[in-house]
Amino acid sequence: MAEQIRLTDIQKHFTVYERPDGKWALLRAAFSRKARRVQALDGVSFRIGEGEIVGCIGPNGAGKSTTVKVMSGILTPDAGECLILGRTPWKERIAHVSQIGVVFGQRSQLWWDVSVADSFALLKDVYAIPDGQFARRSAELIETLDIGGLLKTPARQLSLGQRMRCELAAALLHSPKILFLDEPTIGLDAVAKLTLRAFLKEENRRSGVTMLLTTHDMDDIEALCRRVIVIGRGRLLYDGAIAGLRGKYAAREGQDIDEIIAAMYRDMALES
Amino acid sequence: MGKGKGMGVAMDRTRKFSLFVCSARACIGLFRIRSIESLQYRAAALSSGSISVFWALIEITVYTVFYRYAAHREAATLTLAQMVSYIWLGQTLVPLHPLSIDDELLAKINSGDVGVELCRPLDLYFHWFAKSAAGRVGRFWWRALITLGIGLLMPGPLRLGAPVSAAGLIMFLVSVASTFLLSAAYGMLVTAVRLGITWGDGPTYMMMLVGGVLSGGYLPLPLWPDFMQGFLYVQPFAGYLDLPVRFYVGAIPPGRAAATIALQLGWTLLFVCAGRLVMRGRLRGVIIQGG
Ligand SMILES: Nc1ncnc2c1ncn2[C@@H]1O[C@H](COP(=O)(O)OP(=O)(O)OP(=O)(O)O)[C@@H](O)[C@H]1O
Ligand SMILES: [Mg+2]
Repeated sequence: MAEQIRLTDIQKHFTVYERPDGKWALLRAAFSRKARRVQALDGVSFRIGEGEIVGCIGPNGAGKSTTVKVMSGILTPDAGECLILGRTPWKERIAHVSQIGVVFGQRSQLWWDVSVADSFALLKDVYAIPDGQFARRSAELIETLDIGGLLKTPARQLSLGQRMRCELAAALLHSPKILFLDEPTIGLDAVAKLTLRAFLKEENRRSGVTMLLTTHDMDDIEALCRRVIVIGRGRLLYDGAIAGLRGKYAAREGQDIDEIIAAMYRDMALES
Repeated sequence: MGKGKGMGVAMDRTRKFSLFVCSARACIGLFRIRSIESLQYRAAALSSGSISVFWALIEITVYTVFYRYAAHREAATLTLAQMVSYIWLGQTLVPLHPLSIDDELLAKINSGDVGVELCRPLDLYFHWFAKSAAGRVGRFWWRALITLGIGLLMPGPLRLGAPVSAAGLIMFLVSVASTFLLSAAYGMLVTAVRLGITWGDGPTYMMMLVGGVLSGGYLPLPLWPDFMQGFLYVQPFAGYLDLPVRFYVGAIPPGRAAATIALQLGWTLLFVCAGRLVMRGRLRGVIIQGG
């Protein structure tokens, strides 16, 4: 299994400005801002091989999205190394992003007032996809994601679940080698979640695309990933099979996975 | 070793070039799709078109009175008939130069979705350029058609006159085409400035307003004080509507036509370079909010 992604000791901090509170807060805010440093990533390292599906979990504010942004080449870390398909994402952004696909559950990458079909046609130009390949691939994605009826609709008129399916098709049209998904199932109904999982699994099996997805839904992880990465407070806390987490944190036999994860998060909070 | 490196550079160039071609094709496609799409808004065009007509008629009334009672009527740069045409064409061109940043881009900047745009292998500047320019031109057509049509149908003294000559008309059209690029480039510069600002629209609104005022859209430039005319001619925003309209009514001597167009294109180029520069700086610092 060839290695495709390697992160070594990635660090990233943000500076957040706080408004002073109390009397005259607004007035004082005009003159002084209190800066606070937030260490979003504090030395994250992992490797992912070709064709793997890796789930990334962690409490809110742990640094999952930040990790995905660094790997997508849209955020430059303070320190550390990141090699994806032999490239450093933020140094060769354009070459890098033409090889990967990214889906953010909470954000749209489609053109708002352009119909889905037109968006696909634009992406064909953007990624220079040859005619034959485009025809084949788009037909395939339209069928498996069942978006044939949405093609004439502008993205802004789609419902969340409809949009998500179109986003996925748009991210896979150019047959990327790697797909990053940041909370792809957020806000989806039960049927849509199941469809999405089945689709991702099938896509991985058929075209061997490597996937890394972040989620808060443990069912996503159980359905899709053999391997999980746990990030907490900007650090990598666990990397391995889900069974290992069960073994470490389950208080009793047959405990619900969400309870186990909650126990783990509580444990982490105590540790530091 | 040296040879290998040379080949690497050549590879890099071909890749850059093919990226450029793909980007350009996608941007042109986006422009086509989006401008056709916004052609649909005929009802909106009808109401905004009637606003243009309304303003034109008010302006014409005011300036007719003004011309009749002005002390130095013979000193005016334009005759009253030229002035009436100036107003009709000015009102036609004003909507091509909006006073705000493209809605979609502004929403993306405010919501922090700019970073997401970077996930596509596209040159963000030209991508946005195409997007905002297209949204503008699509909405412009209908409105322009209405204003021009009504202007031409008006009775005698209120009518939009014929162009001074065929050459004048051609220069007018060339100048309008280049003014379209000019205002799109300025809009992108303003958008790039807006990228780094998290606290509101004040500065960008001021920038847009300066452009609007200096374009002659509010007060026709020929009516500004004489000592300012030299400055008004060379400043970039004369290109928005004053220069094209002067071509139409024959207020620019043919000998100066080429220089005038060159001036417009020069400003466009300057705005493009400045916009790209600002944008590159801003993107380095831009942080994708939330997630
Ligand atoms: N643009 C930003 N400015 C300041 N701080 C930020 C910014 N983005 C993220 N952070 C901080 O970095 C930390 C990690 O954020 P991140 O979005 O990666 O969390 P996450 O693991 O995706 O959380 P969630 O599960 O809630 O989506 C948080 O403490 C957050 O407050
Ligand atoms: Mg997140």
